[in-house]
Order: sequence, then C-alpha cells, then structure tokens
Amino acid sequence: MAEYTKPIPSPDPVSQPFWDGAKEGKLMLPRCSDCNRVHWYPRVICPFCHSMNIEWVEGAGRGTIHTFAVQHNRGLVARGWGDEVPYVTAYIDLAEGDRMLTVLKGVDPNDPDSIEIGGAVQIEFEEASADVHIPFWRPV
Amino acid sequence: MPGEASRAAAIIGAAEANDIGYPQTPKSSLTLHIEAINNVCEMTGIPIAAIDGIFSAGWSPQLAEYLGLHPKYIDTTAVGGCSFEMHVHHALAAIHAGVINVALVSHGEMGFSQRFTGGKGTGRPGGAGDPWDPGVQHTSAYGLGGAPTSYSHALNRHMARYGTTQEDFAEIAVVTREWATLNPRAVMYRKAGEGDLPPLEKGEWGGGKRGHTFGGPITVDTVMNSRPISWPIKLLDVCLVTDHGGAVLITGPEIAKTSKTPPVWIAGAGESISHWNMLEMNDFTETSAGRSASAAYRMAGMGPEDMEMAMIYDSFTVTAGITAEMLGLAPAGEGFTLWKDRHAAPGGRLPINTNGGGLSFNHSGMYGMQLLVEAYRQLSGTAEDGGFSGDSGKQTSARSCIVNGTGGSLSTTGTLVLVSDD
Repeated sequence: MAEYTKPIPSPDPVSQPFWDGAKEGKLMLPRCSDCNRVHWYPRVICPFCHSMNIEWVEGAGRGTIHTFAVQHNRGLVARGWGDEVPYVTAYIDLAEGDRMLTVLKGVDPNDPDSIEIGGAVQIEFEEASADVHIPFWRPV
Repeated sequence: MPGEASRAAAIIGAAEANDIGYPQTPKSSLTLHIEAINNVCEMTGIPIAAIDGIFSAGWSPQLAEYLGLHPKYIDTTAVGGCSFEMHVHHALAAIHAGVINVALVSHGEMGFSQRFTGGKGTGRPGGAGDPWDPGVQHTSAYGLGGAPTSYSHALNRHMARYGTTQEDFAEIAVVTREWATLNPRAVMYRKAGEGDLPPLEKGEWGGGKRGHTFGGPITVDTVMNSRPISWPIKLLDVCLVTDHGGAVLITGPEIAKTSKTPPVWIAGAGESISHWNMLEMNDFTETSAGRSASAAYRMAGMGPEDMEMAMIYDSFTVTAGITAEMLGLAPAGEGFTLWKDRHAAPGGRLPINTNGGGLSFNHSGMYGMQLLVEAYRQLSGTAEDGGFSGDSGKQTSARSCIVNGTGGSLSTTGTLVLVSDD
C-alpha cells in the first residue's frame, strides 16, 4: 500500500464503532434508541432529544450532495492536500438523515457545472492506515 | 414596546489604533489594543482608571494587568468576529444590572504584520489542537483549510436554492469598494501611484493614502476575473487581512452626559449560534442572525424598516448577502439586490458598510470592532471630521443603524440596533 500522506483522523472511544465498521466497508451510524433519529458526528447524547441511549446501526451508504466547492488554493487548504488541488469538497445528506463532509471522488473539478447539487452519491472507504479507513463519496 | 434594557447604556466613543491596515512598522496586538484604548479615553475625556468592566476576545486579563486595572466584570467571549457585538450586549446587561459603570470593549490584532514577525496575530484560543474533538476528527481528512474553503459551500448552495449567480454576489464587492474609495483609511482607497504620492517600491504593501496595487474602483468583471480561491469564491469575494486596533466605551446615561463626544444609544441587542463546525450547519443559506436580529429588534421596539443604514460583516460577499436577508433588509434569496440596485451605495436609501467593509477597508481576522467604530462614527456625526484617531470618511445622515457580526463558519452572530439622539 502506498503511504497515505494526507491527515488521518484519530478515533476516540465515542466514535470507535464507526471506525471499526469502516474497516469492514460498513457505514456505522449512531442512532438514538428513544427518538430513533440518526445523528452525525457521533455523540454520547442525542442532540435532538437529549437521551443518552445511543445505539449503532449500519447505514445504507447512500446520500445526496447538499452543496460542494472546488478547492483551488494550495496555500489555503489543509496540510497534505496542497498537491491535490483542484479537488471537490462536499457536504453529503445521508439517506438516514444528518450530514457528512467529504471529498468527492469521480468528478471533474474543472467543470463544476457537471456536478449536481441534490445528485445521488454512494460511500467508499480508503485504507489510510491499518486502523483507519476513511469514508469518501462518489456520484452514482 | 421596547425592552427594559433598551437604551440603558450608550457607546460614548469609538477610536482606532494609530496605524491600521498595512503598517510600515509592525506593532504587537497588545500595542494595537492600548493605542485604541488611550485614544478612546482621550476623545471622551473618561480616564482609563474609570474603566470597571473589560470585554475583549480573549485579552481581558492581559489588558487589565497591563493597564493596572482591577475591573469588577471580566468578559473574554471569543467566538469569532462577532464577539465584539456580543461584548456590547453583555456590557449593556451589566450596566443595566448596576454591576459596572464604564465598560471597555477592546480589539487588537496584527492579522497582516504577523507574517513578518512570526508572531501570533489573534487573541483567539488555539482550539483545534485536540484530535479527538469531533469537529476535528470528522472533518480533518477532507482538505478544508482557511475560511474561504468552507464559506464557498454556502455560496454554491445559495446559487442552487435561489438561482442567484456569482455576478450577483460580485455586485456586493463592487459597491463596497466604492465606499472604500471615499475612506482614506481603507486599504483599497485608491490605486497605488495615484494622488500626489509616489508609486510603491518593490516589497512595499501600501494601503490607505499610499494606495494598493489592486486599489481604487472595480467592476463586476474585475471580480469575476480574479483568481479562483474556492469555487465559486474568487479572490475579490474575500476580505482583506490587515492589522487593526479599536476600542469603544459604554456607559449609562449619567456618565454619557459627561463625555466630550455624543452618545450612540444601544436600543437593541441580541446574539445566537446555529453551530460551531460547518459540519453541523443546518441550512447553508441561513445563519443565526435571524434569531439575534429578532431579539435586537424586539428589545429596540423597532424593525428593519426603521433602519437607516447597516453595518454587515462581510468576511466574504456571501456573508454580507445572506446576512442582509437574515436581518430582514431584503427577502430571502434577494440580499444581493440591495447592492445591485445601489440602495447600499453612496447616496442610496440604505447605506451599507460605509467604511469600505472587510472586503476593502480593513479585516484583521476578526472584524466586529471595525463595524462598531464605523457605526459610532456615522451615528455620532464624526465620520467627516475623522473622529479622534483617523482620517475622515464619508458621512451619511443616518440616525439608526443595524450592526451584525458573524463569527466562526457562519456560526455565531451578534446584532445591535444603535440610534443617535434625535
């Protein structure tokens, strides 16, 4: 495996089930077992009803593009990403509700008009290290 | 009917540090604070020793120590550029409650000069150091960086939702630049080499009367042809990065009468937050300014139709456009029309960002103090004579002004309704 040179997230005890799922190619999501709503990012308390009964469920791995932008400025983006410009960052509305940030795969950053807000996307995982597989999204 | 705290206190003076913009000789952030504090106390005649409440974005204990003060109220609210509007809100409450008599709100930030000194330009807490922080853990893999890389997502969503265009938002930059050409303190006041001063030498940054390589009037084409930063945001959709120091004094009516400068009353104040990390933003075309503004209007017993000018945080053209909608100054999706139809321009019915804005006047990283100083200058009628520490700027006839700061990633908002004596 080529060395992954971009920032790698640090799992913590709250989010560990998500990262465990990612290693198996599964999108694991926190859901409140009282109000049944999925939230993102993972919390120990439901941000909607404030119950502390949180369970983990496997999501469909499908969503839609809420909005996106094309990053052009290598001096302005996060360390490790400068050589990748231009690339497309996007916020994804999950099929189960709430929203994730991503870098869109399989799109042309030089033709933003070809990328559709509201368009369907599906998840994939990239092995950044043995412990951390990072979710990315791609239009279907 | 106005709320109980409405007009319980006034801004009785507002001043800036001696060198703002792109100073030839860098001064520390603390020095920028102190120059502004000294200037506002001299202009009002209120001695520094009378200050019994200190409000700043992280600096209050250092300011108290440096000035040898022992204040009774210490507030270091640091939630981005809107912190200063919140400080005014908090000072109003503390004065109304009888806790303090003289509140200082202070700002100093070497946003520009830090690049030469290797120093730290802001008073903001470090923040993003904890890799377990969920906002870090679940966004750090995706290559966002400086503020433009996030705000661009809001602009694209606005265009998709309302059918607005990049050209619509460029109008905001064009009109705001027009105001800057009337303010010699503005970095983009004029093009370098114009006027009676020599062109910039290589390595000189200029700004203000010296002019700037890209200063002077611009058009929509200038904005559209500027280089892409984070599509759909281009360079001229983005604010400046400058040095600034500023300070205002706030007191109740009795002390206000003793000031050498006129009071500008705090008729209404409100603050709110919708999220901190943009990952948690609900609707990318709305900010919490809807809530902070409605609280401010309610306290004031006034509404958007009563506002004769507006000072709106313009870190980006999209920030200003969306905020104008949130403040009720334009219908949803149509904020940009205030600029495009020239209502916001010199001579228009609702002058906006009369100093030239964060886009073309000065933006040190946090811009909320610049909003306060300009609102005071306009409503106290001291813009034309330069106030205490600055050169003159265009004077409007407005007697009421809505001021809205935005902080974080379109996250936090503080709104003030300010009015002058009749």
